[in-house]
Amino acid sequence: MFDNPKELIPVIDKLGYVIEEELATVLFLLLKLEKPLLLEGNPGVGKTQIAYILSDLMGYDLVRLQCYEGLDVNNAIYEWNYQKQLLAIKIHERGLKSEQETEDLIFGEEYLLKRPLLEAIDSDKRKVLLIDEIDRSDEEFEAFLLELLSDFQISIPELGTIQAKHKPIVILTSNRTRELSDALKRRCLYHWVNYPSIEKELKIIKKHIPDIESKLAEQIAAYVQQMRNLKLDKAPGIAETIDWAKGIAILQGQDNPIYNSLSCLLKSEHDMKLVTTELFS
Amino acid sequence: MDHYTDYPTFSEALVGFSHEARKYGLQSGIQCTKDSIASAMEGLWLDKDQFGYALSALFCHSQEEQQLFDKIYNRYWRQKGTRINDKRDYKNKSKLLKQSVNSAVMVGVGSTDSSEDTVESKTTTGSNSKETLKRTDFSKLNMIQEKQLEELSEKMISEMSLRIKRRRKKAKQGQIDIGQSIRKNLQNGGVMIDLQKLKQKKDKYRLLILLDVSGSMDKYSFYLLKFLWTLKHHFKQIEAFTFSTSIMRITDFLNDKNIGACLAQVSQNAKHWSSGTKIGECLQDFNDNYAKRYLNGNTLTIVLSDGLDTGKPEVLDEAIQKLKLRSKKLIWLNPLKGMQGYEPIQMGMKTALPSLHHFGSAHNFESLLQLENILLDA
Repeated sequence: MFDNPKELIPVIDKLGYVIEEELATVLFLLLKLEKPLLLEGNPGVGKTQIAYILSDLMGYDLVRLQCYEGLDVNNAIYEWNYQKQLLAIKIHERGLKSEQETEDLIFGEEYLLKRPLLEAIDSDKRKVLLIDEIDRSDEEFEAFLLELLSDFQISIPELGTIQAKHKPIVILTSNRTRELSDALKRRCLYHWVNYPSIEKELKIIKKHIPDIESKLAEQIAAYVQQMRNLKLDKAPGIAETIDWAKGIAILQGQDNPIYNSLSCLLKSEHDMKLVTTELFS
Repeated sequence: MDHYTDYPTFSEALVGFSHEARKYGLQSGIQCTKDSIASAMEGLWLDKDQFGYALSALFCHSQEEQQLFDKIYNRYWRQKGTRINDKRDYKNKSKLLKQSVNSAVMVGVGSTDSSEDTVESKTTTGSNSKETLKRTDFSKLNMIQEKQLEELSEKMISEMSLRIKRRRKKAKQGQIDIGQSIRKNLQNGGVMIDLQKLKQKKDKYRLLILLDVSGSMDKYSFYLLKFLWTLKHHFKQIEAFTFSTSIMRITDFLNDKNIGACLAQVSQNAKHWSSGTKIGECLQDFNDNYAKRYLNGNTLTIVLSDGLDTGKPEVLDEAIQKLKLRSKKLIWLNPLKGMQGYEPIQMGMKTALPSLHHFGSAHNFESLLQLENILLDA
């Protein structure tokens, strides 16, 4: 489909994502080698968005697994439909089926509830699988993922091994709140997503708010870059920059729209005070 | 061989690069080499930038590795005869260390005489170095290791805090409320389809840490204070005090987001630093003036001290018993316990020992990480 990473850049640009050659090369490699891609970076730098863009680019549906503390196999891979199984047992209690037949019946695929990971590999169509914020999950869950990431298969004790009909495009994201295991990293391509440079941020603002005045966009991008150098509790990400730019556009014509819309960008009293003192006093 | 021109074919040069990367600590296995050959066959080798990006995605597993990779790649594939600067982070580290050097001198560790060369030669890479660092006695750390340990402790305490939160959360699940389940499932003809779980109250616990900063603890108090600072940023319910001949509350200083500023504040206020030790009197002072405010039935009290007391043993005995009564658990972590052949025979330690729930060591980072089990047990 694509013969060179550079071909990806304009296509992805049209989809609304400003991409550099480095990330384009990594995505090119991901499509060619069919290996999972681990994206690490600070919150709000657009890691998750990359999966959505890939889904649009390739025309595949996106399956998203949001990780959290305590996420287990039942919520991520599969679970038996216990209610349905109990009802089936009741129905067949006085029937002619033997115990073995009933067991075979209730542990069939019809009684299996597919969770995102199983859905991604057991589908008739190729999917983009986004495993978001993997660092929030437990180490035990990471171990479950290894089989999927290396062999694109999942083992279910009652059914056996389910091999992917079509290898999904797998994107994992991490905010690096903890180190991931070497075993998991080894199975993935790796890319660190940095905060954008001022030029890139300017492009992003203009892409999302095409009507914005160039000078205002430059001012916004410059302010945000300065803020990222301050010791804020939560440095503003790209989404916050866009929100801020939209906020300023709405408040245009009123007193001091840049300062008054800071709440779109800063999420704590400490940050607000620091920015006010350092940049607006 | 350390340049691609040293190899007859491109594939061999790639294998050579894989070896080269491994020499610098990157985990480049056979699969990695195979993938890099595959990526070259996709035509990426025609553009050196693109090929570099591709190999970086294959060989690196962290932002730091990517920075190192750029240097290895440039040297191997582009220039011949230039060397990678192994001391790449040294300037930054020195700068950071200088910021806290006043505080370090204050507690007697600023005079570390290891030269830069010695430091570099002792540095190893990978998980092995982390393990070594964790096990190194605080009194034997040099300034570079100290900085590395600071980074490592930040990471590990953050992970520890996450684990504790999760396990406590997990421990609260799973108990079935039989009554509620029966009531709820009457509509299903009594078949237990929806199981109801018991709801539990959140039990908030507090952590009280009393750090000995007397002269005999000089080698350890600085690191332990840094440990407290890191701990405070992950466990909000911590109260901390320093003591030697008098006691001082330092919790507010630990809230400072900058460790240098925190140490500076403690140094400005701690008049009793590096002086004698009167553990009994200090604990008594704590019991009289602070215990009501900071101790409740859920407080876990940890004393970080070598137990070398110059006060009266009966005062210590009375104070420690009162402290035990008001705490959920009383733990004593002693840096000297890490020494071979150590026995708690000094008067202070001997007096305190019968009143303790746990007596552990605190001479290196690994021993401090044992705190996780103590916190989970509490």
